[in-house]
Amino acid sequence: MITFDRVSRRFGERMALDAVSWHMDEGDCVVFHGHSGAGKTTLLRLITHEIQPTTGTVAVGTFRSGRLSRTHRALLRRTLGIIYEDFRLLNDRTVFENVALAVRIAGRFAEDEVVPRVMYGLEEVGLQLKQHSYPAELSAGEKQRCAIARAIVNRPAVILADEPTGALEKRSQDDVLGLLRRIHEEGAALLLVTTRAEVAAAFSGARVLLLEDGKLVDQSGRPLFRVETGASPQAAEPAAGGF
Amino acid sequence: MHLFYLREAARSFRQHRGLAYTAIFSLTAALILSGLLLLLTHNAKATLDLMGDRREMVIYLRDDVTPGHRDQLMGRLSDLYGTVTYVSKEQAWDEFSRQVGDPSLLEAVDDNPLPASIRLKLKPELLDHVRMEETARQVAQFPEVEDVRYGAEWVRRLDDLGASLTRGSWAVGVVVALAIVFIVYNTIRLTVLARRPQVEIMSRLGATDGFIAAPFVIEAVFEAALAAGIALAVLFGLQQALAARVIGVVFLPTTWVIGFVGAAIGLGCLASALALSRVLRAVGP
Repeated sequence: MITFDRVSRRFGERMALDAVSWHMDEGDCVVFHGHSGAGKTTLLRLITHEIQPTTGTVAVGTFRSGRLSRTHRALLRRTLGIIYEDFRLLNDRTVFENVALAVRIAGRFAEDEVVPRVMYGLEEVGLQLKQHSYPAELSAGEKQRCAIARAIVNRPAVILADEPTGALEKRSQDDVLGLLRRIHEEGAALLLVTTRAEVAAAFSGARVLLLEDGKLVDQSGRPLFRVETGASPQAAEPAAGGF
Repeated sequence: MHLFYLREAARSFRQHRGLAYTAIFSLTAALILSGLLLLLTHNAKATLDLMGDRREMVIYLRDDVTPGHRDQLMGRLSDLYGTVTYVSKEQAWDEFSRQVGDPSLLEAVDDNPLPASIRLKLKPELLDHVRMEETARQVAQFPEVEDVRYGAEWVRRLDDLGASLTRGSWAVGVVVALAIVFIVYNTIRLTVLARRPQVEIMSRLGATDGFIAAPFVIEAVFEAALAAGIALAVLFGLQQALAARVIGVVFLPTTWVIGFVGAAIGLGCLASALALSRVLRAVGP
């Protein structure tokens, strides 16, 4: 479903990701854990094709990195459900309208299907009573639940969550993590990036990958893979753990 | 979905009223300017056409032309150039006498010196000065013809005036078209930039350029159509005011009005598409 094959991404002098290889299948749950600046968000931006790898290949389903047309890039993003740390809600629209926008963008549903689909999404996250509220009227936890409703409303095959509890206090954090766990248990693949160890620990069956300074490392901080020049990721020798 | 685009366009219009009103005002001013010129051109053309309809060629006949030859000539002229009317020497004298008015002035003239003539009302396609000159040259070749007169200089000037008006209309039309494109282009660009966060979010959710652009194009079309409507209303008021003072001032024909609004909308579409194709690449990652 998602494959990184020796992917590096450089921003000027800084190597944000360094020869990272990993793979996830449908229904998997993968948590990337690492400190701030470890390359987690770069990884997500590579998946959504906001940026291109400097070297290596990113494959998402049938889409491979390279020069995707704008139309194909839009199509790729419609197959993903993305949850941002800062929610990325439209402040001039109600909760309902924010979620409905994703349904309309998907373009798969007739106009009379929009309302029931949005209501289903809002019920999933327990926000049906706040459907007429604007983001400014919501708590941080409610905003994140709205962002989750927007991400799941089209039933994407994979959900990407960038620090989904970053702006939340403990109780809201537990609610949101419980919600994400439930969505994953219902069949969606979940890719979560976080700086918080407790978030990684909340997903018991998940594969947790550690990112440090752009490299995948094991618990002791050694690179997870010793990738040799010219070798494929399958040929790379796992140092410890891995997938 | 179309209703959604309309609602989005209305939302954008409401949220950026200042920009929208500025665009409508500027577009209206540009369209009034071009509409004024259209009105002037249309009225001038109508006047010129009226004068053109009155253009006549007078073909003076030799005194020795027999009625048979004259009828033959009239038949040929009628076939080739237009409607002919014969004016005999006597009719010409009577006409001249009427114009002079005082019979005592003509008593000194013993014999009727005026030649018989044929008045040729040319076919519409022969009414410009180049073709009239060519027609006069051809008609003068007939052996029965003594001379051909049609006021060549006057016709040439009239045609030059008409051509200048047409060229002026085109020149102003092009300038106004560029102004419309410029105004709409910048308005849409600013509107998109003002809504940059929204465009970015929509792009990240997988919206196509068409999905993002449609409400902006609808907004541009609405602004252009509204500006064209206001401009036409102002022009109509002006025409009515002028018509009360100057006889014969008419408003633009329906086809011109449709073309005027259509051109404004078309240019609005073009400019917004141009602006969006550039700005969406800059805004949407």
